[in-house]
Amino acid sequence: MQLELTNIRKSFGEGDSHIEVLKDINLTVEKGEFVVLLGPSGSGKSTLLNIIGGIDSADSGRITIRDKSMSDMNEKMLTKYRREHLGYIFQMYNLIPNLTVRENIEVGAYLSKAPLDIDDIIETLGLKKHQNKIPSQLSGGQQQRCAIGRAIVKNPDILLCDEPTGALDYNTSKEILALIEEVNRKYGNTVIMVTHNDAIKNMADLVIKLRDGVIRKSYRNEQKIKARDLDW
Amino acid sequence: MKNPLNKRLLRDLKGDAGKYAVIFLLLVLSIGFVSGFLVAGSSMIKAYDDSFEKYSIEDGNFRTAQLLTKAQKEHIEKHGVEVFSNYYVEREFDNGTTLRIYADRKEVDKVCLMEGSIPTKKGDIAIDRMYADNNALSVGDVLFCEADEQEYLITGLVALPDYSALFYSNNDMMFDASAFGVAVVCDEQFLDYSESSYFYNYAWKYDNKPAGEDEEKEVSDELCEVISGIADLENFIPGYLNQAITFTGEDIIGDKAMMEVLLYIIIVIIAFVFGVTINNTIHKESSVIGTLRAMGYTINEMILHYMSMPLIVTLFSAVTGNILGYTCFKNVCVDMYYGSYSLPTYITIWNGEAFIKTTLIPVAIMITVTFFILRSKLSLSPLLLIRRDLGGKKKTKAVRLSHRIGFFRRFTIRILIQNKSSYITLFTGIVFANVLLFFGMMLPPLLIHYQDIVTDTMLARYTYLLQIPAGAVDSDDMLSAAFSYTVLQKDINTNNPDAEKFSAYSLKTTGAGGERVEEVTLYGISDNSRYIDASFNEKTVLISSSYADKYGLGKGDVITLKEPYEDTYYGFKVTGVYDYDGGIAVFMSRSHLNKILGYDEDFFGGFFSDSKITDIKSKYIGTVVDEESLTRVSRQLMISMGNLMYLVDGFSVILFVVLIYLLSKLIIERNAGSISMVKILGYSKREIARLYIIPTTIVVVASFIISYPLITAVMVRVFRIMLKKMMSGWMIIWLDPKVYGKMFVLGILSYSVVAALEYLRIGRIPMGEALKDME
Repeated sequence: MQLELTNIRKSFGEGDSHIEVLKDINLTVEKGEFVVLLGPSGSGKSTLLNIIGGIDSADSGRITIRDKSMSDMNEKMLTKYRREHLGYIFQMYNLIPNLTVRENIEVGAYLSKAPLDIDDIIETLGLKKHQNKIPSQLSGGQQQRCAIGRAIVKNPDILLCDEPTGALDYNTSKEILALIEEVNRKYGNTVIMVTHNDAIKNMADLVIKLRDGVIRKSYRNEQKIKARDLDW
Repeated sequence: MKNPLNKRLLRDLKGDAGKYAVIFLLLVLSIGFVSGFLVAGSSMIKAYDDSFEKYSIEDGNFRTAQLLTKAQKEHIEKHGVEVFSNYYVEREFDNGTTLRIYADRKEVDKVCLMEGSIPTKKGDIAIDRMYADNNALSVGDVLFCEADEQEYLITGLVALPDYSALFYSNNDMMFDASAFGVAVVCDEQFLDYSESSYFYNYAWKYDNKPAGEDEEKEVSDELCEVISGIADLENFIPGYLNQAITFTGEDIIGDKAMMEVLLYIIIVIIAFVFGVTINNTIHKESSVIGTLRAMGYTINEMILHYMSMPLIVTLFSAVTGNILGYTCFKNVCVDMYYGSYSLPTYITIWNGEAFIKTTLIPVAIMITVTFFILRSKLSLSPLLLIRRDLGGKKKTKAVRLSHRIGFFRRFTIRILIQNKSSYITLFTGIVFANVLLFFGMMLPPLLIHYQDIVTDTMLARYTYLLQIPAGAVDSDDMLSAAFSYTVLQKDINTNNPDAEKFSAYSLKTTGAGGERVEEVTLYGISDNSRYIDASFNEKTVLISSSYADKYGLGKGDVITLKEPYEDTYYGFKVTGVYDYDGGIAVFMSRSHLNKILGYDEDFFGGFFSDSKITDIKSKYIGTVVDEESLTRVSRQLMISMGNLMYLVDGFSVILFVVLIYLLSKLIIERNAGSISMVKILGYSKREIARLYIIPTTIVVVASFIISYPLITAVMVRVFRIMLKKMMSGWMIIWLDPKVYGKMFVLGILSYSVVAALEYLRIGRIPMGEALKDME
């Protein structure tokens, strides 16, 4: 078992503006699984992802990753946890504007004792032609590929993706999803992806449907569809 | 693997060249200028201090009416001193100046040759370097003396160590290095002068130098009595009282106060600039920082990364600043001192204090400020950083704006509200920048104003302070003293109907609380005075308005004054303030003062007169205060302080422009994203200017106006503290209203240039790029 969430609760605000975002979330993810957290805006999916990623904290509950409890970790240990086990991809690419594509990927590689081969990743991501360009010379899709490269180069145990196609068009979105799928297959990382795009659930091993902070439905896909065959 | 983030450093430098250039300039100028000044000051002081030994400066000098016989000299030397002949003659030259000419000195007060050569033959002369500068004379030029009908060829420029300040007479309030100078000729030339024109001046050196000024006074008083007992003593000046020697050292030390105030202002500004720039960087990069933190970069790695470039720029600036400080800035300041004083040659010395104050402290401030701001901001959760939520404050509800306000105006108000923290920063920065500008721009007019008013505030057109020649009164024998004084009465009286007697005495302030000890002149005013418009009884003690202003004194306060070099103290209860800005003085009735000093009721020490007194021999007149002498004081003050003030002025203006540039640039940059966005929405350039540039302009203008009274209140206090440290006497602090106008225009001009540049820059950003940036 890679990841286990037990009775996770999270709320924001006080008094009248108090909102319970996550209510008793229980979840188990196996190593190498492709998990899709699906739900409408405000369902709590991004908050859940951020808690798993150690950049937000739960009010109560327990998270264990490879049998290690995250709840007992201080800020320093959380940073180490993120550094050693996690890769992050956001809707906003947040690339470093004055570093080239290759250098942006190196920023991720620096964090790992045994990073993946950068050339191989650049090749896989189809960025060979663009590796010496800076982010402002790239399209949105190319920038997101670069962000994926930065996240996976350190070969993280878990790749967290927060609406990675949210700012992209249909074709580019499919390309990016195919890449993440390829990364999951090739490098064996666990992928947890947050999306509100219902079609993406079809490429997942495990689908978690959230609404109003509660898991409404959770199931494993018997028949996964390849990203390239998705349609919406 | 090397940290790939390091590859950003040079690109950051290039990409943000404007900001780093400004920081570089700010630091280089500050470090260079202040350390240059401090290094010059300390090198000059060292040269000055060393000159006592190097050039064997006298411990005192005296002048007798006739040549001392060998026996007289031996008699004097039995009293713990060695006496050296140091005769001189005085000659007027065709350029309307007077030179005091000495023979070359071989044992005491040795000559420092600064250019050319020491005269070796008749008709050659080496003149004081500063006198030469002031009169545009150089080696090879010729001076003509009408009295001797002789031409002199200038062979060298020299500094005489006993004339670092060119006082003609030790009683003069100030020296005038344009009208008076010193010179040396060869022995052959000197012997050629008629003996009748000789001034028999002698220098002495103690066999065992007295430990302090108190002991020196005791020893020199005794020596004075010995000499006056055997010779006709015309003049007697112990070293510690010789203004020509001591004035320079005191003045150079005094200048430091101004530079230290400037330094403190600069240090605060530097801290502020670093705070603002690093804060801006974090705001600009917060989502990248958040992402990197989410990826696992530690806070310390991030701090190190974001500190690297400011640190490199600071260190590079510090090195450059120090190099410039020890070279060109130092030379500027040295020239300033050589323009005021006749100092010997100097060697640049390492100044540890300057290095600590100008370099280590700013670098430490930069590291501390940057570190703490980074530490506090980067400790925010990566999520907050990614969301650019750096304020840490909960979102408050939007301020309600009436719909009756037009859309455009509402939009503008929203922008003002949205940017309020940036505008507060801008206001603070403008206050700091204006403090600097105020400091630089207000001082020269203050000095010029003082020059203008000083002659208007004279007690009388001529004030004569009499001097009884040393040895004329035997203080040990009361009877003969009384006799001598009676004899003198006829010599020190005048038939001038304008003349009005007063008694005068000098005391010193006690220097309580570490304040500068200074001389206070006590005037005893005759009854029904025509010159002092006040009525006196036996209890009236009026202090001059400048005395009251300098020390914050008024009616009812008690002042304590001290007999110089003695442990005698006098306490006076102030009964009022007399409107006189010309000096630190106390006025009371003549009988009152004479009684306090234990003098006879009729005793007097000088005359006020509206016309020149011509019937008192010059040897009985110590000091004459007239328009000419006061102008000389203010002129010299202008030379000794003015140069420095203009340097500070120029420096402040440059720093002000640089600072306004940096601040305006930062604030406009903060809005660049929004400006680009409204541009994409289809707003015209003009509309964008109305929306963004105009609110900033309003804030800038308002900040200027609001900051002036604020700064005035603070800086008047700063000036008071600084001038108290810098000068004896007092300048009433006068603020030139025109300077506010100049400050405003300069501020607006600097801002306009920046706003125009930034606006053009925004205009150049392609809209697609702007969209990408927004992502």
